[in-house]
Amino acid sequence: MDSLAHLMAGFSAAMTPAYLTYALIGCIFGTLIGVLPGLGPAAGTAILIPITFKLDPTGAIIMLAAIYYGAMYGGTITSVLLNVPGEAASVITCLDGHQMAKQGRGGTALGIAAIGSFVGGLFATVALVLVAPPLAKFALTFGPPEYFALMVFGLCLVSGLAGKSLAAAMVMTAFGLIISLIGIDPVRGAPRFTFSVPELYDGLGVVPVVMGLFGIAEILITAEQRSRDMIRTSFKGLFPSRAEWRRSWGAIARGTGIGFFLGLIPGIGAIVPTFMSYIVEKRVSKTPEEFGNGAIEGVAGPETANNAYANAAMVPFLTLGIPSSPTIAVLMGAFIINGLTPGPFLFQERPDLVWTVIASFFIGNVMLLVLNLPLVGLWAKILEVPFKYLAVGVLLFCIMGAYSLKQSPFDVWVMLGFGVLGYLFRKVNLPVAPLVLGLILGPAIETSLRTSLEMSAGDFGILAERPLCLGLLIASALVLAASALSLAPRALREGEAEV
Amino acid sequence: MQGGLSYTREFTAGFTASLCVFFLVMAFVSYGYALQDSLGPGPGFFPFWLGLLGAAISATLVVQSWRGLLVLEGEESKWPDRTGAIRTIVLLAGIAIAAAILEPLGFRITAFAFTVTMLLALGVRRLVIIVVFGLVSGFGLFHVFYYWLKVPLPIGAMGL
Repeated sequence: MDSLAHLMAGFSAAMTPAYLTYALIGCIFGTLIGVLPGLGPAAGTAILIPITFKLDPTGAIIMLAAIYYGAMYGGTITSVLLNVPGEAASVITCLDGHQMAKQGRGGTALGIAAIGSFVGGLFATVALVLVAPPLAKFALTFGPPEYFALMVFGLCLVSGLAGKSLAAAMVMTAFGLIISLIGIDPVRGAPRFTFSVPELYDGLGVVPVVMGLFGIAEILITAEQRSRDMIRTSFKGLFPSRAEWRRSWGAIARGTGIGFFLGLIPGIGAIVPTFMSYIVEKRVSKTPEEFGNGAIEGVAGPETANNAYANAAMVPFLTLGIPSSPTIAVLMGAFIINGLTPGPFLFQERPDLVWTVIASFFIGNVMLLVLNLPLVGLWAKILEVPFKYLAVGVLLFCIMGAYSLKQSPFDVWVMLGFGVLGYLFRKVNLPVAPLVLGLILGPAIETSLRTSLEMSAGDFGILAERPLCLGLLIASALVLAASALSLAPRALREGEAEV
Repeated sequence: MQGGLSYTREFTAGFTASLCVFFLVMAFVSYGYALQDSLGPGPGFFPFWLGLLGAAISATLVVQSWRGLLVLEGEESKWPDRTGAIRTIVLLAGIAIAAAILEPLGFRITAFAFTVTMLLALGVRRLVIIVVFGLVSGFGLFHVFYYWLKVPLPIGAMGL
């Protein structure tokens, strides 16, 4: 009941013209980011942080959150029309969405994706309202050991699910963690790894690093490829036929459940729910042979799961301060820039902000539906802009975004350096998502571990004495073990195939 | 393709070996900070052990990549052709030069020069489009972001 009262207050704040405008601008920019090949949601959100400088914290977060879920939908358009996912979660949509476009049913594919995204996002936000307050209350009982174990669990999930090599994901997590320690030690105040460079005393900024790893690297990868042909498809039949509805509603319902429950698990990433939804739909379908050849369930299920995940991922973020994906890590950076710390205390200290932002999720989902159905043709037109112009524009925004955060050209160099690194990481198949999560969680992990050890006078036994902490650490070990066991046979098979 | 794959495999092994060295250097530097102090774990404690752990896993990765378990044929492991490589280098050089001249020359001139140079380098030949795009990027963006959105952008020595 308390949540409902807070939510109503949030709605009355979110419905003010200013916040509605911010949400609308965020949805438009987010969809645009998703549409543009070579600019994923993480880099896109990071690039657009400067445009929120003038806004109050609530307005800034509303706009950035709208950019986030707008981008999740925008990626669908390139998947359907270009067979190129605008962001990683839309990979699976290429399979049937692009086939539908080839058959002249591109409008229906985009229509069902928009409707599924709306339903998934809406139900996940309702569930967020129900789940978040009790979880935040429970998280208030956590001490440093529990927080340490929780963050370790999140990183283990990311490492375990990030790629085909557990070692590669763990190395990238460790890389992210260790570079997060550059700067002033948060516990004792001593400078570390600064090598007498004054700019390093503040540490490496999450935003320039993310812009480099995702924005610059993506542009470089796209620049070296030949341009792809866009499918010209019909946008007249956006609404599915009666028969297509019958095939889609079950997929949308299942996609909502899959996306929401997987979104609650910190670190699982957006790809897993979409793939799982696709697999489930193929398994329950009476015509599995149609999958890969334009089955509408193959678009409806994963797209719904994608948006349900995007909204559900806000639960661990807002209640525990654990970002589930690089994009949410960027959002976390934006919270910190605005003087806010995501986590259970946020619900206590700034309930006005939290509930206004949650209310804006509902509004944003409606806006996306209204925007995307009639404007599908316009978004498709943007894809016709030659890459050369897009690349130059995106790079310029990256330079501007990196500089303006601290008015420091040093951050532009950091972005460039991580752009090169991100390019090389992709070339050698090292996953970058664990790096970003390690970078953002590093200082908190170190602080909670060291505080725990100070509490126990250096005795690691404190981590085993507390049941929740022990449980989370055991679960972390199990995740890594399960991942190693499931990946090893595949790696061996592939290794043998190579020989 | 096999030759390319072999090259990629060697490159991957070399790259992961350099990550291993990076972790060892970080562990070595951390050792110079206090691992323990009177209050408990010191500033060097976490990075030291993390560096050692990272180095150990990187070493595993070197072996994996040498055996070809990281990069496989048909996956995203292709290197660009000559044109692609030139484009990549031009884009990187453009960002580096922009970073170097951003404060001395200011955002407007830097953005204009960056846009014009990049478009020319990427093969756009229509002068009117290049100039218009350059002016919009340099002066238009500055106006929107500096005056309307209050984003702090650099003004150079020439007042631009």
